[in-house]
Amino acid sequence: MLSKWSRNECGNTDDKKLHGKKIRVGIAYIVTVILLCGLFLAAVNTGSLKVSFPELFRGLFVAYDSNVAAIYDLRFPRIIISMLAGAAVAVSGVLFQAVLKNPLADPGIIGISSGAGLAAICMTTLAPALYFFTPVAACIGGIFAFFIVYVLSWKGGLSPLRIILTGVAVDAFFTGFSSVVSSMSGGDRNGVASIVEGNIAQKTWEDVRTLLPYVAVGLVLALLSVRKCNLLALEDKTARSLGVNVNRARIGISVVAVILASISTAIVGAVSFLGLIVPHIGRLLVGSDHRKLIPFSALAGAVTFLFADTLGRTIARPYEVAAPVVMSVIGGPFFLVLLRRKK
Amino acid sequence: MKSVGEYMMRVKELSFSYGKNKILKNISLEIPEGKITTILGANGCGKSTLFSLMTKNLVPGKGNIYLQKKNIGGMSLGDFACRAAIVHQYNTAADDMTVERLVAMGRTPHQKVFGGRSEEDERLVEWALSVTNLLDFCGREVGKLSGGQRQRVWIAMALAQNTKLLFLDEPTTYLDIRYQLEILELVKRLNTEFGITIVMVLHEINQAIHFSDRIIGLKDGHVVVEGAPEEVITSETLAELYGVKLGVTLIEGHKYVLTA
Repeated sequence: MLSKWSRNECGNTDDKKLHGKKIRVGIAYIVTVILLCGLFLAAVNTGSLKVSFPELFRGLFVAYDSNVAAIYDLRFPRIIISMLAGAAVAVSGVLFQAVLKNPLADPGIIGISSGAGLAAICMTTLAPALYFFTPVAACIGGIFAFFIVYVLSWKGGLSPLRIILTGVAVDAFFTGFSSVVSSMSGGDRNGVASIVEGNIAQKTWEDVRTLLPYVAVGLVLALLSVRKCNLLALEDKTARSLGVNVNRARIGISVVAVILASISTAIVGAVSFLGLIVPHIGRLLVGSDHRKLIPFSALAGAVTFLFADTLGRTIARPYEVAAPVVMSVIGGPFFLVLLRRKK
Repeated sequence: MKSVGEYMMRVKELSFSYGKNKILKNISLEIPEGKITTILGANGCGKSTLFSLMTKNLVPGKGNIYLQKKNIGGMSLGDFACRAAIVHQYNTAADDMTVERLVAMGRTPHQKVFGGRSEEDERLVEWALSVTNLLDFCGREVGKLSGGQRQRVWIAMALAQNTKLLFLDEPTTYLDIRYQLEILELVKRLNTEFGITIVMVLHEINQAIHFSDRIIGLKDGHVVVEGAPEEVITSETLAELYGVKLGVTLIEGHKYVLTA
């Protein structure tokens, strides 16, 4: 009888390969977690103040230590913000790529981040008292930008190239407009400048508290949509024949992607290429199954952006290079390589 | 034998147009239960539109389609997917998707939004793999399969849906003759061994004659031929369907259309 068959009893040669693949995925996860921990400690110790790990532990949990307290107030927020924003942007990239069926889609490149940034800037300039609602404004701006890109690149279907071209134009427009608003408002207003330049140097625990709930909810929603993402990888007609309302799934997942990208933009500024590079590496390491790809991208996104921020802090001391700038410098060439490899 | 008058699907006074261009003009037809029905016709005769309407990919302009006496217009996509499976002509999947995972996606309409696979799911996936002769390939990546094997994977995915009705849109396109026959033999087996009602669109007239119980021939949005292939395929009906004169001959009691 067939009843003895189980998922693991595939053909022999294939069986070994599958087993090897599982181990590879496991290693990729473990290495990424170790990298994240190591980077966290390195980032804590980057700067004039230095503490060892035991000192840090004691200072945080046992007894007061002035050095540790200073680090806790100054460095912890930016480290946590880097990790949260990195995870959010990377997962947002995976979701956009699933929805648009386009491995080159990235919230920074297709103008979502700059749309969110523009809305956030307008909010802080025109109604500084409503600072608390900046993330909401950013999300609305992001959704508006996505809507424009989607509608303008629709011509009986979505061609990958048309999305990128439309997105680049929309991105340029919003970025330019943001500079206009910023200049007209004096340009030196702290909130405005930090959004335009992606400055995470002066972030406080307050910003962590703003970012955390949105990112947490966004990531949970992303994890809940893994099956839909996998189904969207099929032809639309085929997904429909499996009972999936393709349009509704697209809209739902897009909203999650926009929220993740917009909220990070409101706090750390527009980040390009992160949502492109991390999922791409993720696919090479853990495959294109979204059940593995989305959690991995969250971890790897945190690692990458924290790395960018820490590198920016060290490379030209005492000056700082903003993390999004570091991302652009690393990401630009990477994007070009991807474009050339894709026919 | 099923008594005459048992229909899996019934199309009633169906019309459809794209703008002012009328594609289907008030057509009615039946899909008998437990039989293989093939839709034939020249390019632009409306057979793809009819197929899309019957598979809920288009909404009728006028008229209704009933699946086991229920109007499909009122069914949700999920409900429809539990009753009818469709193998579309053109399919894609991620290259690193394994055969087994892809076939298991066929269980989607029967699964809850957040839930693992049930024993029933496992059993049906295994059945679908074994019927399509894919058990040995179940861990293989879809990108590494031949065209014929890949088509079997898509059929297996549809089978995992465990429906009484299976639609196939030109299942032999892109395949060479060996795989064409392999797929059609498989379709025949699904019908005779498991009693699955089949509706397919084919281009090759001789294959349609030999693998179908019933032919529906469309021309300019009307049904012009309907019935058992041996009876309804003649030089005259072919001339009407395709607008070319084709000879028809008998070899060992079987009808063959001379297409060259």
